Amino acid sequence: MFRRNNIASRIFQRQIYTPAPGTSVYCARRFYENLVPSCTIYDVECPDQSFRKFTDDGQYLISFSRNQQDLVVYRPTWLSFSCKEEDCDAHDLPPKAKRFESFFTHLYSVSLASCNGNELICKDFFLYVESNQYGIIATSTPSIHDAAANGAAIQGVPYVEKLTFHLIRLEDGVILDVKVFHNDFVNLTHNMGVFLYDDLLAIASLRNQTIHILQIRDSGNLVDVRAIGAFCREDDELFLNSNAQCIAFPDKSKLHQLPGNNVQNGTHLSQPNQEDSLLSGIKQRLLSFIFQGISNEEKDPALRAQWLKKKFYFRFQDYVDLIIWKVQFLDRQHLLIKFGSVDGGVSRNADQHTAFLAVYNMETTEIVAFYQNSAEELYLLFERFCDHFHTASKNSVSMNFVSSHSNNIHALEQIRSVKSKASSQFMKKMLGSLPYSCQSLSPSPYFDQSLFRFDEKLISASDRPRQSTDHPIKFILRRQPCSLKFKIKLGPEAGNADGRTKKIASFLFHPFLPLALSIQQTLFLQQPSVVNIHFRG
Amino acid sequence: MISGGRGGKSAPSASSWAVSASGKRIQREMAELNLDPPPDCSAGPKGDNLYHWVATILGPQGTPYEGGIYFLDITFPSDYPFKPPKVVFKTRIFHCNVDTAGVLSLDILKDSWSPALTITKVLLAIRAIFTNPDPSDSPLIPGIARLYLADRAKHDELAAEWTRRFAK
Repeated sequence: MFRRNNIASRIFQRQIYTPAPGTSVYCARRFYENLVPSCTIYDVECPDQSFRKFTDDGQYLISFSRNQQDLVVYRPTWLSFSCKEEDCDAHDLPPKAKRFESFFTHLYSVSLASCNGNELICKDFFLYVESNQYGIIATSTPSIHDAAANGAAIQGVPYVEKLTFHLIRLEDGVILDVKVFHNDFVNLTHNMGVFLYDDLLAIASLRNQTIHILQIRDSGNLVDVRAIGAFCREDDELFLNSNAQCIAFPDKSKLHQLPGNNVQNGTHLSQPNQEDSLLSGIKQRLLSFIFQGISNEEKDPALRAQWLKKKFYFRFQDYVDLIIWKVQFLDRQHLLIKFGSVDGGVSRNADQHTAFLAVYNMETTEIVAFYQNSAEELYLLFERFCDHFHTASKNSVSMNFVSSHSNNIHALEQIRSVKSKASSQFMKKMLGSLPYSCQSLSPSPYFDQSLFRFDEKLISASDRPRQSTDHPIKFILRRQPCSLKFKIKLGPEAGNADGRTKKIASFLFHPFLPLALSIQQTLFLQQPSVVNIHFRG
Repeated sequence: MISGGRGGKSAPSASSWAVSASGKRIQREMAELNLDPPPDCSAGPKGDNLYHWVATILGPQGTPYEGGIYFLDITFPSDYPFKPPKVVFKTRIFHCNVDTAGVLSLDILKDSWSPALTITKVLLAIRAIFTNPDPSDSPLIPGIARLYLADRAKHDELAAEWTRRFAK
């Protein structure tokens, strides 16, 4: 059968053929091969702001003012301009149209930080609640890195005096609710410490080793659902306090034997600050699970004792010392929790450290599975069922098409070829991406690996900034004729010869329009960033 | 409070315990324990410190503690076996002989200690108070002791609820 790849023949084909059942969206997406952001406006004049991302429904462009005090929201619009002369197509874009405002309409600015004293917007953090068009933005006081630990806090984890999560209705910028944490630390870089699933929000407090589960109500309220850490069930502390009344009558003569005499005070009970004190709720569950696992490996009682001694008791303190690093939802009941040693919790190359991954059921308060981060079994699960780890909220349609090695043969081939070269290190590195950071992937079709091929070292769906390159980034058709479809260039090709200053680039792709922003910054942020707009001309 | 964990200050250094009498004694008891472990009990040194142990006791069948997994810290003094080891619960338990910080009150670990006792016997004694709490001799938590004597059903119900919540 003859096939043409130009858009006219594709439209004609669409008229006369019915795609195979279940493939209509995939067929429609092939039109993106013809509609590409191949035009670029270099160094567009635009407000000096940090642009965070397009929301996954394409409705908003989220941006923060340079002083990190205001949220600025734009609506992406399609460029339109009129041309008086004949033969419009031959003309270049008129200078008047080459403006930021031609593509983005300013909706509003909201001040979030100035009213809160010395809090500033954490510009690496933004979550979008697509079902309600709510945004979650964090502001915090500066973090203190050498803070001494007090109470249940973990030594070595930085701390902030105040951290506020703002729930914002993006339609009009109204602040619906806030959730404040005091003397705490949540790693907000690339959304790491917070995970949104449907209407549930998991916030991992590193400093107090607690996973806070919040619910975002349709009414626009943030409601505490449970806190997992010192206790597992939401009413454990209440239960303990109510029981304390029945057991809180120690003989006067024995008072000296009760360290701290903390019977009446439930909050004291929940915050053991000595190495020797009681295990926290989540640790008890974890150690029980590990104990049972090791115990069941050996049936003979005498051999089992030896086995436990070697495998469990010898490493007991290491397990006790594990701290919660990161968390994600697998579904509404199950959390994937990463445990590691204190020194790896906030360091940059965390995948070098030994870490463990646990699956925890919040309802039954049971640990379901526990793996070391180099476990082959877990890697194989991850390779085959990556999309199960990669949970997006139910109603987020666009995320169904994000390429992963479990849904895309090209991505799978790529990781398999790397794996065959350096297996164990590679597995550890791959598993280092678990738990996933929430909403860190762009659903843009130009990152769909069944449509385009591109160098993942230079650009990818993940929204991390990269070291910028002078070379144009090529997007090549995955299918025949495998031709170059478009390039993303950070500067005009004959651009400045100043190749020595290191620059970092970030790319914001619109989820479905052929529209992208590339932002280039020098490592030292004195200079304003250079913003290019890439669009279909 | 006992200072436990690796590198606790009460324990002799690694080089001295290898030859000390207490070290030899503890090693012998460890071999004995592993050869013939008491039911529901197991224990072993934490890391490479022979003087700091962890024990696990499974809540015995037929008691309200059934299904619970209890972790205990055991610290041997440097003059063991002339002084008793110190035992602290790391898991919350509703029991008249264990206080809310996990401190255990057991006569053989105090006045009735004898150098003839071993860690195996200590574990057996602790397991025995799971089955038969001792509310009579000035219990640590008189409230629970009174409940145990006055309303055994209510006591067991509460203890089972604690097991379910805190010892799984």
